[in-house]
Amino acid sequence: MNINGVYIEDTFAEAFPMKATRLIITAMTLKSAYRAANSLTGFASSVIACGCEADIECDLDPADTPDGRPGIAVIIFAMSVKQLADQVLRRVGQSVMTTATSACFAGLRCEPSIKLGSSIRFFGDGYQIAKRIDGIRYWRIPVMHGEFVCEEKTGVANAVGGGNFLVFAKTTRHALTACEQAVKAIRRVPRAVTCFPGGIVGSGSKVGSKYKFMKASTNEAYCPTLKGRVRSSLTPDVGSVLEVVVDALDQEAIRESLRTGIETVCKFGPKKGIYGISAGNYGGKLGPYHFHLREILT
Amino acid sequence: MTPLTLTLRTRPAQEVDIGLLTPDGLQAMGRPAIEQIKLTCGNRSLRLHELFEVQGEDTSVIHIRRACDKLYGIGMAMSFGSISVQGRAGDDVGRNMRGGTIAVRGSAGHGTGRGMRGGYIEVQANTGDFLGGAEAGALEGMSEGVIIVSGDAGARVGDRMRRGIIYVRGNSGDYCGSRMKGGTILVLGQSGCYPGIGMRRGTIVFARKPAEISATFNSCGVLKMEFLRLLFRQLSNSYRKLALLRNIGPEAERFSGDLALGGKGELLVLHSAL
Repeated sequence: MNINGVYIEDTFAEAFPMKATRLIITAMTLKSAYRAANSLTGFASSVIACGCEADIECDLDPADTPDGRPGIAVIIFAMSVKQLADQVLRRVGQSVMTTATSACFAGLRCEPSIKLGSSIRFFGDGYQIAKRIDGIRYWRIPVMHGEFVCEEKTGVANAVGGGNFLVFAKTTRHALTACEQAVKAIRRVPRAVTCFPGGIVGSGSKVGSKYKFMKASTNEAYCPTLKGRVRSSLTPDVGSVLEVVVDALDQEAIRESLRTGIETVCKFGPKKGIYGISAGNYGGKLGPYHFHLREILT
Repeated sequence: MTPLTLTLRTRPAQEVDIGLLTPDGLQAMGRPAIEQIKLTCGNRSLRLHELFEVQGEDTSVIHIRRACDKLYGIGMAMSFGSISVQGRAGDDVGRNMRGGTIAVRGSAGHGTGRGMRGGYIEVQANTGDFLGGAEAGALEGMSEGVIIVSGDAGARVGDRMRRGIIYVRGNSGDYCGSRMKGGTILVLGQSGCYPGIGMRRGTIVFARKPAEISATFNSCGVLKMEFLRLLFRQLSNSYRKLALLRNIGPEAERFSGDLALGGKGELLVLHSAL
């Protein structure tokens, strides 16, 4: 299969189940909300060592936020509900509450749920106030800028992590330019986020390592510098490979993101240094969700 | 099915307890059985058809027409459905109500929403004392639900209130929110003396500064209460009657109290009205 001269490998992206929640962060200005969201989603590229994966989903118009202020929606992913609850507590407590004028609300209202304001409230040292509006409980925690308002709990969804595709390019510059456009397009897909820095992975990994203490290690089959040394998956003309990884609240959002991303990359074509598309496939060892590239693109 | 419509034939001389006439109480009853329900009027027993003209059969939607203040206990302990009252309602409208909707197109007496545990009450004109208050001897008043009064309310609005929301578009009497334990009261008109006296927790929002504030409330100054933005926005989204709250800013003078009882409650006097 070729799209605009770019070869689409007959393979599948292998994804795995995760637990996720969406949070809505509001503040007096969008800039302040971004500060909180950027801090919350910082160091959250991979569950392998960050504890969670998180990214900004979209900006929210004041008309779409609970308190009528500018807001940002972020999605946080973890491997278990317990791990998610722990990360949400740490990150909202240290990144959102500490941002001046911010407030934090649930972006998913479903069961099961994890504690949000009901854990953070203890910062109020007994001066915190609970307020129930339309069946939803909010905590008002007195802080130096006024009050930090935080919803009691947030819902947890069964999400999908690790949807991905690999871009084979002539040089890193070619790959990066195409991937940046792909991530830009993916950001318009609701319910999906790209958690790695800029949404692009420069060091895609394989499961396991020759070292027992490593859970993941470099994917040598896709390293251009090892083409002459290992059983490489790269053709001689490929000088760089970048990976775009997508996490989403459901499989459909992953499918839509992969389709949008791959189509955007393919628009560049071989003339602009894009030769092929593949996907991270670990032979079924990693997860139960298999997104076949050719199926998605037809 | 058409709604069950009860039209009062003549104004009774004594009070009549119609607490039975709720969607719960009339569930699965046909019109003949409804007409034979016994009602107590003073020291006499009356059949319902002697007092009301009965039409329709859908007991989950009840219309009471030509109501008067002698009819008390309207919607008592109801848990679903709706009751609309055309005219004046007596005392204890929605007493111990658990769900459903009551709309009074006129005034309501004392104790409206007393001991309420859920549901929605709307009164188009005025209400008497103890709106959303506690049952006699009970330690907790209204513990869930929403009451909207378009006119004035009497004294002790939300006495011992635990949770829920009371909105008074007009004025409220003295001791508004007395002995409150939680919940939210909004008064857009003038409030009487000593609001929140004896309150432990809860929020009372005034658009105008009350006539007198107890010495056991301390001012925390005029603040931008972001929480009010959330409250007003959510209420105006949920209840059409409260749409005007959307335009009210979050600046308010905050009084913390009652300091004689822990001081976890608050009076918020909207700055625009200062």
